[in-house]
Amino acid sequence: MNFFDQQSAKRRQSLFLLIFFIAAFIATGIVIHVVIAGLSIFLGESTQMFDLSTPAVTLIGLVWVMIFLGALFRTMDVKSGAAKLAMRFGAVQVSDCSRDENEQQLLNVVAEISIASSTPQPDVYVLRRETSINAFVLGSAPRVNQERRHVLVITQGALDHFDRDELKAVVAHEYGHISNGDITVNMNLLIALGGLMAIDEVGRLLVGKNPDNNFHPGVIAGCLLRVLGSIGVFFGQLIRCAFSRQREYLADACALQFTRNPYALASALNIIKLQNEELALHSIHEQELAHLCFQSGKTKRWLDRLFASHPKLQNRIDAIDPYFGVKHHKARKAKMHMDERVSVSGGDALSDIGFGVTSEPIVESVLSDGAQIMLSDTPNSMAVLFAIFISDDANNRRDYFNAAAFAFNRKFAVRIKELSNILSDEMHNNQLALIVQATKTICASASLEDRHRLLVKLEGLVSAADDFNLMNYASLQLIRRKLKLEFPLIKTMAEDHSAQGRHVKKFDSMGSEFALLLSLIVESSGASEALQNQEFVRVLKCYTASSYPRRSKKEKGIVLEVSAAFQTLYVQPKPVREAFLQHCIEIVRQDGYIARAERALLDLFAASLGCQQKPA
Amino acid sequence: MSSGLIITLIGVFAVLAGVAFYNRLITLKNRTFNGFSQIEVQLQRRYELIPNLVNTAKAYMSHEADTLKAVTEARNNASEKCEAAAKNPEDASLVSALASADSVLTDAMGRLNVVMENYPDLKADAQMRDLGEELASTENRVAYARQAYSDSVMLYNTSREQFPAVIVANLCSFREADLFQVEDPVMKQAVKVSVTW
Repeated sequence: MNFFDQQSAKRRQSLFLLIFFIAAFIATGIVIHVVIAGLSIFLGESTQMFDLSTPAVTLIGLVWVMIFLGALFRTMDVKSGAAKLAMRFGAVQVSDCSRDENEQQLLNVVAEISIASSTPQPDVYVLRRETSINAFVLGSAPRVNQERRHVLVITQGALDHFDRDELKAVVAHEYGHISNGDITVNMNLLIALGGLMAIDEVGRLLVGKNPDNNFHPGVIAGCLLRVLGSIGVFFGQLIRCAFSRQREYLADACALQFTRNPYALASALNIIKLQNEELALHSIHEQELAHLCFQSGKTKRWLDRLFASHPKLQNRIDAIDPYFGVKHHKARKAKMHMDERVSVSGGDALSDIGFGVTSEPIVESVLSDGAQIMLSDTPNSMAVLFAIFISDDANNRRDYFNAAAFAFNRKFAVRIKELSNILSDEMHNNQLALIVQATKTICASASLEDRHRLLVKLEGLVSAADDFNLMNYASLQLIRRKLKLEFPLIKTMAEDHSAQGRHVKKFDSMGSEFALLLSLIVESSGASEALQNQEFVRVLKCYTASSYPRRSKKEKGIVLEVSAAFQTLYVQPKPVREAFLQHCIEIVRQDGYIARAERALLDLFAASLGCQQKPA
Repeated sequence: MSSGLIITLIGVFAVLAGVAFYNRLITLKNRTFNGFSQIEVQLQRRYELIPNLVNTAKAYMSHEADTLKAVTEARNNASEKCEAAAKNPEDASLVSALASADSVLTDAMGRLNVVMENYPDLKADAQMRDLGEELASTENRVAYARQAYSDSVMLYNTSREQFPAVIVANLCSFREADLFQVEDPVMKQAVKVSVTW
């Protein structure tokens, strides 16, 4: 397809969309008029079918305004900026100074393809927590005096599973979408659909909540509007999907033009095919992103295939290289042969050269045998939980012991002191493991009420101390979790939020809580003041549009606020928590290395939020 | 409608079409220039990387001074030629000089590469592995720059020769663009450096 053909094709598509939209617009008006006129004839109020009655005109006007508003909101949503959108999903920008081998390679690959396709380089983002294999591009609205920047997002799963050539093929496919202008068309489609969905919404409003309350013509009009809107949305989706499938083939063809390596693209698709995954993307917003992704998961039923945004993987492979199966089989056999030879010659030097996937084993922090034996005893375990919060400052330490002696008795305070001396190494280096071990022992022997009492005492002691900090707070929350005690607030909060989880947009409503937690984390990163401010503003921007002041841990009464904020975060759906945690890791990483205190804070934070943290 | 008006309309239309084709050809032609300079940019990038490679290799293979020296010399020569060609891209002789200098360098690199096979320590070196990725990427970039250049030349030549445009092209003397062709067959072979690390 040459440039002219593409351009005219794009114009035809845009025109088609416009006609589609206007037709839907007019049809809505006609239907409303017919319904209202029909009703008034039926009720005997009027005999003229073609008279425009006042209620009909008002209703039509209202509906049209609604459709316009629906489309307008979608437009604003779409235009809000690709980078911001990407960050909302928890994607992290890959910078040039990345030390990760895979990411460095990704950046190189992107630069290569951008030369091959003569397209400006997009910003590259990685979804670090996404294990599924996928990639997509987002387009951002052109700003004043700036060229249009695209954003390419790729999942960690893709980075882990693909070799260099396959990665290149996938990136080239996404570049194909960019150079074909698919993003714009897709966004336009989204906008048109937004308008149609607005009709459905209006219908729902008209029907009201109790249809049996009182019957009026509005109810019938509402029902009809809903039907109309649903049909519109149905066909809109159908068209959008058929269109999207064609664009996938085109993007594949472009990928071949850029890389001239059909085998790599086919093999990338094959890897996805072999993965037994239903979901193309585990994160939120899967539906809306589906059309921009590299693949859309598997479809089994016939009807699903009609609404699939992507063609069947096997069809795509066949279109790229009909003999891929044979070639793949041969290549695998040859590789096995090679491997055998290597292992016979006894040299494994070869196997770790090349762009193999290096998977770091997750290191579980283990306690020494001595510490484990000590912690198998319940009183010791309890004492350890108190010992963790002993301060470095001598004055604070004395106060703490006095308070402990007052809360329990002198002997227990002595035991805390002893334990803190015996386990001083673990106290500093491996708090997480200590807490895990101690709470395990306590859970096995103490009842729920006892554990609760213990926690209340611990909280009282710790929060009364002068140097209560975020670290202590996170430890406390971890202990609470490990003791299997719930936040006092959680029950009520968990009940009123629906099973599907909250929408990410709710972030806006809890901006101040996030601002608070963020500023504490930024503060503990140990970076310079200016850098801290900058980082704070940057991350806050991806959650909420309004700005909040930065807080400091030295403020009075901050503990209560932290506690509230923590609870807000805790009841969020998992992806939100993970995204937040990911940003924390990024902030801490900012200065190039992770201090031990920072690492511990992150560990605790992750464990308290119930997320697994990737070893940095 | 008078015939004069019709003729005027046709004339206006012809002029407008001519302007459109002219602009289109200019765009395509400039794109080929850009594509060509992109090749030089990427070659320069390659030449800047090679000293790093040689320095890293030196620490491990002191016995192979000759091979390393040959690479360094070939690199310096090619780098000079590249700068000369970048200053004067219209000069075909400079471009062919660059192409042959580059092929000499590729040759020397190939030899260095064969020699390096004997030094497993060197290949395991962390810095060397980073360099390996960097070099592989650069080789790809050179290849892709050439490919993009060839594509743009093909598009330009096709548009130039197609029917209505060919009139404009001949009137305004748009010349046919040359592919980045290398007479020396050595130049065409794949660069081995990119696959061994």
